[in-house]
Amino acid sequence: MDIQSCVEVRNEWDIVSARQLGRNMAKELGFGNVDQARITTAISELARNIYLYAGRGKICIEPIDQLGRKGLRIVALDNGPGIREIRKVMEDGYTTSGGLGAGLPGVKRLMDEFSIESTVDVGTEISATKWLR
Amino acid sequence: MTAKDALTERYQDLLSVYLKAKTETTLYKGQQFSRKLLEQQISPEDLVSLHIQVMDELFPDMSEEMRDSFDFLLEAMIGYGFAYREHQSLRDKQQQLESEIEVAASMQQTLLLSDVPEFDQLDIGVVSVPAKKMNGDYYNFVKSGNSLSVAVADIIGKGIPAALCMSMIKYAMDSLPEEQMKPHLLLENLNRVVEQNVHSNMFITMFHGVYEPESHKFYYAGAGHEPGFFYHAKEDEFHDLIAKGLVLGVSRTTTYHPYEKMIEVGDMVILLSDGVTECRTSKGFIEREEVVALIRKYMDLPSQKIVENVFQELDRLQGFELRDDFTLIILKRLV
Amino acid sequence: MNLQINQDQINETYELNLTGEVDAYTAPKLKEVMLPLTEKEGNIVIVDLSGIEYMDSTGLGIFVGALKSSKANHSSLKLRGMTERVKRIFEITGLTEVMDIESGVKGEAL
Repeated sequence: MDIQSCVEVRNEWDIVSARQLGRNMAKELGFGNVDQARITTAISELARNIYLYAGRGKICIEPIDQLGRKGLRIVALDNGPGIREIRKVMEDGYTTSGGLGAGLPGVKRLMDEFSIESTVDVGTEISATKWLR
Repeated sequence: MTAKDALTERYQDLLSVYLKAKTETTLYKGQQFSRKLLEQQISPEDLVSLHIQVMDELFPDMSEEMRDSFDFLLEAMIGYGFAYREHQSLRDKQQQLESEIEVAASMQQTLLLSDVPEFDQLDIGVVSVPAKKMNGDYYNFVKSGNSLSVAVADIIGKGIPAALCMSMIKYAMDSLPEEQMKPHLLLENLNRVVEQNVHSNMFITMFHGVYEPESHKFYYAGAGHEPGFFYHAKEDEFHDLIAKGLVLGVSRTTTYHPYEKMIEVGDMVILLSDGVTECRTSKGFIEREEVVALIRKYMDLPSQKIVENVFQELDRLQGFELRDDFTLIILKRLV
Repeated sequence: MNLQINQDQINETYELNLTGEVDAYTAPKLKEVMLPLTEKEGNIVIVDLSGIEYMDSTGLGIFVGALKSSKANHSSLKLRGMTERVKRIFEITGLTEVMDIESGVKGEAL
């Protein structure tokens, strides 16, 4: 089993690489096909945000084991402009990309655990975990 | 067997039956099943996965491409899953907001409730119905000494901001010594308060009157409010109750003109808000004459019955959907 | 529920020709166009309402706001071409006494 693997995100192709990495690791861990799709989509959304708003960052994925409970953790990191109003960004219906239902609240619902830290002009770190059922 | 297994089995049964004999009945059953799935909060992508699983079971020799196509469909469904979950969340939020508005509306009811006072010489009828949950129309009766004062106002702006403004007026009115007040002076006072405190696009129309039973005189003044009617029993005629004046809140220095009328036995003073005259029927806007005709129809009943009947007819004409807050007040001199 | 605003300008004189309805839905659009014009000293803002079939009190509120702004900023606001129905609301609310409204009312808009 791999330890943490990371993908640099600088362009749209990197989003695909991050997805691929995530799907492989999820499959290896034993996630079912729907959960694989969910994890991959979560990675996709986070990578896309990095690409659209920060320009550059990275997605790190690692398998985790907590007292026998297995899961997969995704961490999205960037040194971009940061999020000014985190509360607003976590509210349903708020969207800057004109998409329907996606955004960070959507990612949060795809995964089991979610946390976000962001400082204006410094950067953003988002962490999301899905547990094996 | 877990709930999920039970669902899978059921789906498999339904699908197999359908594939053997494509009946409308089975399709109907399929629809009803989806209702059950929604109750269990099964998301769109879960359903596709269920389908894949069942298809695998039923057709182990399914072609590679067919199988792959389902994987592709699954990915595409995730987007719908997003929308579905956001919708759920927004619906919960909406329910919460609705109950908060209920609370605010009942609070407003309590705060602004004006009892219709008993008054010897007058038979008073009042109906005031909001278009949305909170009322932008305001009416107030105050018994002071021997006289009765009545005010009707309409805040321009609907819903919650309007109603909040209304509360402000009530408190301003309750704290002005009304016995000394002549209606035109009250309006001047109120105008200054409003001008300083409302948003530049808001204004208030208002009518204020005082009935003095000794002289049987009704003193009144208006600030841009929809004219009411006056029924003169001796002539058996309805006239417009004109009280010209600028709406409240536009200019600090506005002055108001005092009016007065003698009220004889059988006469009626009818006050309303523009929700009455803005009723739209299938033929277009209602004319003031039609409102008068309605009042005339029920004229011999007690005032409360008159206003209720008029409201019911206008409500019906509009298909029971109010466009604006509706307020109608009738004061009839009995003795 | 639809409002069209056609704008013409000659130096400091702005002419707005309105068509449709001014109500709670369309009022913000009118405010967005009209209010900034009244905020500049010396501007002359002429609003032609012959194409307006219906205005409700929200619409009226926009004109009240524009009136206050023109007074505060020393610009001028004129209204003209109102139909009977629209003129009536300006009359009842007393605004005809404080606003520059050209008479010569056109007939009811068909």
